[in-house]
Amino acid sequence: MACRCRERWRSWGCNLAGKIAVQFYGLMRLRLQTAAVEISGDDLTIMALLRLAEEKTGQGFLDELLDKEKGLLTGTIILVNGENVRLGQGLETRLKGGDHVDLFSPAGGG
Amino acid sequence: MNGWMGRIIKFDLGSMTQETVAVGDAIRRQYLGGRGLGVKLYSELCSSSIDPLADDNALIFMTGPLTGTMMTSGRYQVISRSPLTGTICDSSSGGNFGAALKGAGIDGLIIQGRAAKPVFLSVHDGQVEAHDASAFWGLDTQRTQKGIQAETGSKTSVSCIGPAGENQVIFAAIMNDKDRAAGRGGMGAIMGSKNLKAIAAGGVQPVTIGDPTGYKALTARLERIVDKNPVTGKSLQVLGTSVLVNIINAHGMFPTENFRRGVFNDAEGTSGEKIAETLLQRQSSCYKCPIGCGRTTRTRDKNGEGPEYETVWAFGAHLGISDLTAITEANYACNELGLDTITMGSTLGCAMELSETGAWKESLRWGEAGKLRDWVTDTAYRRGIGAELALGSKRLAAKYGRPELAMQVKGMELPAYDPRGAQGMALSYATSNRGGCHMRAYMIAPEILGHPVFLDRFSTAGKAELVALFQDVSALVDSAVLCRFLQFAVGISTFTEMLRVVTGLDFSDEELMTIGRRIYTLERLFNNRAGFGRGDDTLPPRFFNEEFQTGSSRHRRVQLEEMLDDYYAVRGWDTNGLPLPRTLAELGL
Repeated sequence: MACRCRERWRSWGCNLAGKIAVQFYGLMRLRLQTAAVEISGDDLTIMALLRLAEEKTGQGFLDELLDKEKGLLTGTIILVNGENVRLGQGLETRLKGGDHVDLFSPAGGG
Repeated sequence: MNGWMGRIIKFDLGSMTQETVAVGDAIRRQYLGGRGLGVKLYSELCSSSIDPLADDNALIFMTGPLTGTMMTSGRYQVISRSPLTGTICDSSSGGNFGAALKGAGIDGLIIQGRAAKPVFLSVHDGQVEAHDASAFWGLDTQRTQKGIQAETGSKTSVSCIGPAGENQVIFAAIMNDKDRAAGRGGMGAIMGSKNLKAIAAGGVQPVTIGDPTGYKALTARLERIVDKNPVTGKSLQVLGTSVLVNIINAHGMFPTENFRRGVFNDAEGTSGEKIAETLLQRQSSCYKCPIGCGRTTRTRDKNGEGPEYETVWAFGAHLGISDLTAITEANYACNELGLDTITMGSTLGCAMELSETGAWKESLRWGEAGKLRDWVTDTAYRRGIGAELALGSKRLAAKYGRPELAMQVKGMELPAYDPRGAQGMALSYATSNRGGCHMRAYMIAPEILGHPVFLDRFSTAGKAELVALFQDVSALVDSAVLCRFLQFAVGISTFTEMLRVVTGLDFSDEELMTIGRRIYTLERLFNNRAGFGRGDDTLPPRFFNEEFQTGSSRHRRVQLEEMLDDYYAVRGWDTNGLPLPRTLAELGL
């Protein structure tokens, strides 16, 4: 699937070819001190991607997104190319090179 | 009496007389306080055709039974007919002022009449006193608060207007406890029309608690729940409300350049994350609030509070501005001058589009950050271009022949969520009793944030029921009175428990939901009498006719009509949006 929000990603300097771009927001970004990583791989599930992203950043962050049973916390938002994975296969959603994944830990405001 | 102080005072500024307003136990139980009781009393005092800025209009400051008791209970509501919309309006503010009114021995204060010269009122030990405010007239909200505290005591809490209210700008705010705002609907203009500069309240009268043991246990439990909740215990504390900038932008519904696009390419630079990294000095809290979503910030030249999410958007993406310092200083200016940041920013966006289309000859350009502060200041003083901006977007766009360019509902400007990206939010905007506001039914919670459950944002199915439910719960919380952010951590049954332990009355969840519905319907009746009906429960044509071409809300339009019929049916209103006799009978209206 072609990138649907390329302009936004370009601002982060991501080279998307053949890679999955992962963007961290909110508390995760502050914790990891990084805004984005790229993960090589194809046909990964979200869960597999998250574990690879943990390896890449060298820090655990899954507790910001998942509960103790490794399900999505109430309020966690994971977007793949702008679409919320809760409307599809959740953590089993499959990813391919060129996909963009936005990770938001539970947040509120208004 | 537990929870309530049992004293509401009506003060006539024309005759400088006061009287106690009797409110029976049954009415108190049916409307609680805050917004509910305020609307009830207002409806009995004023007709729906009253000029909001006329002497005989009433302006009601009201607390609730929970005010001054448990966490997040420092808030108060201001109720009147809005000069911006002509609807019934309540405007809510945090800080300590609500708790201070209770400490001063009253539940509420009804103001009528117009003082012959500027005055401020002080409330202490259940009595209201008027004082000459000539020395404060013309001062900004910060100097006013300090000056009045110097006269009434440093521990008093002061609710006041700035120059915008004095000049009766129809979206003037009331400010208290430095930078807390009863922002929406122009309540500050009504204070100005009455020559009322401020109200100072303070005292140590206690709120008696009906079930002290239950109160103590519930307080401890609530603290644990709020602390453990990732939104109230972490996100709002660390990042404030502006954490929403990136979230809403990623959903392609961050209104950009007067709602013409849904993705702002410079959103990152105005995000909560960026504020935390650059301007944030410390978080700030309202009365007994463990959340602390407020932001105390500093730019190179100034310091103050904010910006909150809606303000970041109103002076940022909405105007194509990415200069966070300029946005923040425009926010400071609104706080000092006493202006609603949402309507101010939104009106500027409307003005920029009017200018771009050539409908208005003034030159206001997208992204023009350098003039922001001047535009805000000129609006507060209604001078130069500001005299036109002070009209608000609806009147400004109509004046220049392009009414469709005002992004408003019933005259109130929409906030920072494009309704094409969330159908439930669209219905919420359209049916809001005070106009284009996100606080009547915050459908962003389920449709975007996944609280308390996640819903498909583009579906219309079931949205009518949920919008009505959220509206009723919001009316209830605004009448208790508590902060809405508690709703990220607890639900209706907890509010029921809170009211039970404080008042000692045997409230049930069902009774509280009926109270919320009663209040919402009473507001609707007022609006119906003021001439509002189905034709006003709508949105600007842009949302029905234009689609975004990029972003994840692209190729979407609002599908309002199908939801509106369902909504009226759920509410027990007829197809024109008039409550049916059986509905009124059920609610005791």
